[in-house]
Amino acid sequence: MIMKHIITIIAITTLLTACRREDPLVVDDIPGLGGDTWAKTPLDEWLFDSIATPFNISVKYKWDQFELEVNKMIVPPKEEKVVPVMRSIKKVWIDPYIEEGGRIFFNKYSPKFFVLAGSGSWNLDGTVTLGTAEGGRKVVLYELNEYVNKSMPGYTSADSAIAKQMFHTIEHEFAHILDQNIRRPLEFDAISAGYYTGDWINTSPAEARRDGIITAYAVSKNSEDFAEMVSIMLIEGKSGFDHIVNSITGTSIRGTTPEVARQRLREKETQVVNYFKRAWNIDFYSLQTRKRQAIVNELY
Amino acid sequence: MFMKYKLTLVALLAIAAVSCKKEEYIFDQSPDERLNEALSNYQAALTASPAGWKATLQPALGSAYNFFFQFNNENRVFMYADVDTVTAGTRGESSYRLKAMQQPTLVFDTYSYLHILADPDASKNGGVYGQGLLSDFEFIFQSAGEDSIVLTGKANSTKLKLERATQEELDAWQNGTWANILNFLKFQDIETYFKRLTLGGNTYEIAVDPIGRFIGFQWLSGASLQSFVTGYSFGSQGMTLDDPLINGNQTIDRFYDFSWNPSTQTLQLSGGGATGSIQGATAPLRTNLQAPQRWWQEAVAEDLYWFSPEGFRSASLQDRFDINSLDRYYYLIYWPGYSTGENDLFSPVFVNSAGDGLELLYGAAPGIPTFTADGRIVFDNLGFYGAYPSSGPAYQSLQQLLIPEGYYMIPTGAGYDMVSAADAKTWISWQPTW
Repeated sequence: MIMKHIITIIAITTLLTACRREDPLVVDDIPGLGGDTWAKTPLDEWLFDSIATPFNISVKYKWDQFELEVNKMIVPPKEEKVVPVMRSIKKVWIDPYIEEGGRIFFNKYSPKFFVLAGSGSWNLDGTVTLGTAEGGRKVVLYELNEYVNKSMPGYTSADSAIAKQMFHTIEHEFAHILDQNIRRPLEFDAISAGYYTGDWINTSPAEARRDGIITAYAVSKNSEDFAEMVSIMLIEGKSGFDHIVNSITGTSIRGTTPEVARQRLREKETQVVNYFKRAWNIDFYSLQTRKRQAIVNELY
Repeated sequence: MFMKYKLTLVALLAIAAVSCKKEEYIFDQSPDERLNEALSNYQAALTASPAGWKATLQPALGSAYNFFFQFNNENRVFMYADVDTVTAGTRGESSYRLKAMQQPTLVFDTYSYLHILADPDASKNGGVYGQGLLSDFEFIFQSAGEDSIVLTGKANSTKLKLERATQEELDAWQNGTWANILNFLKFQDIETYFKRLTLGGNTYEIAVDPIGRFIGFQWLSGASLQSFVTGYSFGSQGMTLDDPLINGNQTIDRFYDFSWNPSTQTLQLSGGGATGSIQGATAPLRTNLQAPQRWWQEAVAEDLYWFSPEGFRSASLQDRFDINSLDRYYYLIYWPGYSTGENDLFSPVFVNSAGDGLELLYGAAPGIPTFTADGRIVFDNLGFYGAYPSSGPAYQSLQQLLIPEGYYMIPTGAGYDMVSAADAKTWISWQPTW
């Protein structure tokens, strides 16, 4: 019996070895292995020198459907928009964080991969996606072709909405990354506990604020509330945030009075400021002032 | 038991015998070698034509477009297109690359004239929001020869056919011949609703659908109104009608030699062996005398109303009084016979605060309109429902409605265009709710 097994094993071994080819397929020149290549232009050199080298962030502006939703019609950006957008992002997002938190802090935690798209991404419900992020590493920015700042001809302050949305997206995603590395205070989550719902899409920004929640999207869950608080406070600045808080009027559907709503937003503000100090040793108000000044310089 | 092992062994040996049969390769190179060779052949083909390539692209929506491409070996492509006067007159530069996906693919990988047609922002191309004109900018090679390259779009299967261009064909783009031809579309800037073509002693009313590339003509033949609709395309020889317009001894198969004068709003052109012009007109070629009454009666018979989401518009402003800026605005309505035998209703309609229905906040009550013998409809206001605003878009829209000259009614198939009889520079498109 054992013998027979041995014979079987020998037979199989013979089988396995007998067919080994001496000359396997040539696989040493697979096209596209290591990524796409193209002749470098001044734009590629600018991105390498100004973004990749100092901050270890790579920027993909050439079309690659697989970085985006494959079932959507989206178009690539205009080349002439790439430098103005990345330059603004450097001034508004990167520089203030480095000034307040240091280069080591920033380079360690910043998302490392930006994908740029020229148009928005239209959803079935008629809304348009203007920014997404994945896993703390990749950020997709849309509608680059619409981007204008005040250094461009024909700029009006009404155009600032798209640029502000772009800064909002980046600040929001970076707040998530910070939160995931050192968790936000539990006290923050307690402030609006019971008010978070997946049905945020049917909540208007005004109604969200009447409940003491900064934006409609922040209604979705406490971690989003935190990222929205940080990003809105940074892009609107101290006085802009104060204006939002002070202009809450009327009692919410769920019975929150304006006084309670304002108090909740102020408590969250305190928690955010304390968190930045304790976790990252960053003076939030100083960061906020720098960020807002950078936005004002770009847009107003 | 022994039998079973014997069988197993026999089976294994049989497999061994079969699987060790020396494989005959169909190709003498590996897949990667062949793919690299295909890519470099396509690259060579794209750059082989010294004057570049002329091309036609047919998106799934709309009409065919002419393109002109020149590829170099540094991933740059230079382009002209007959999308508009800018794309036809200014050489665009953008990026391309060849990529081995499931098949060798040509990717136009930064924004170019080609992407205007595919842009999901329909304001760029007149298509559908989220889809554009259902066009492409990633193409699979079907064939590549010395004189033609045939490509198929990856997302929407649009056909892109490249043909080797001559130096003359390149010159036609570079010296502005094409840009001049696209000037034809400038006549759409004419402020009046009515656009009148005068050519060789004949007068036509014309209208164009620039996305589908259709053109319609109306003219008077004795007492009867004739009409003719056909497709058109642009070429280096001008704007060519798919089917010629034949009116008595005048046959028009194309228009050319365009010259647009913005201050007089006149487009000079040639066609049908004559020179002529397109200019604005303040009244229809022949007024439809029954249309105003029919418009009013149709709604009364249904006991329903006409609506217009944009409100009053002009050539340059889709919503002239910015009525869409009203909070919760839904559309503007005119309700003939709202109070039977007494008055009509004209008002904006709003979404209610719960967001699940429509509501009227206020309205104007015009009397039953006057239908003049020369085919105009004239409105006169008798009173108000609620507190009608005394300023702003709703007020301005009402003032516009009540102009003493009244309006012409133009049946459009989808509804009626109500055109100011004062100067034809303001109009509103009414659609039925039934």
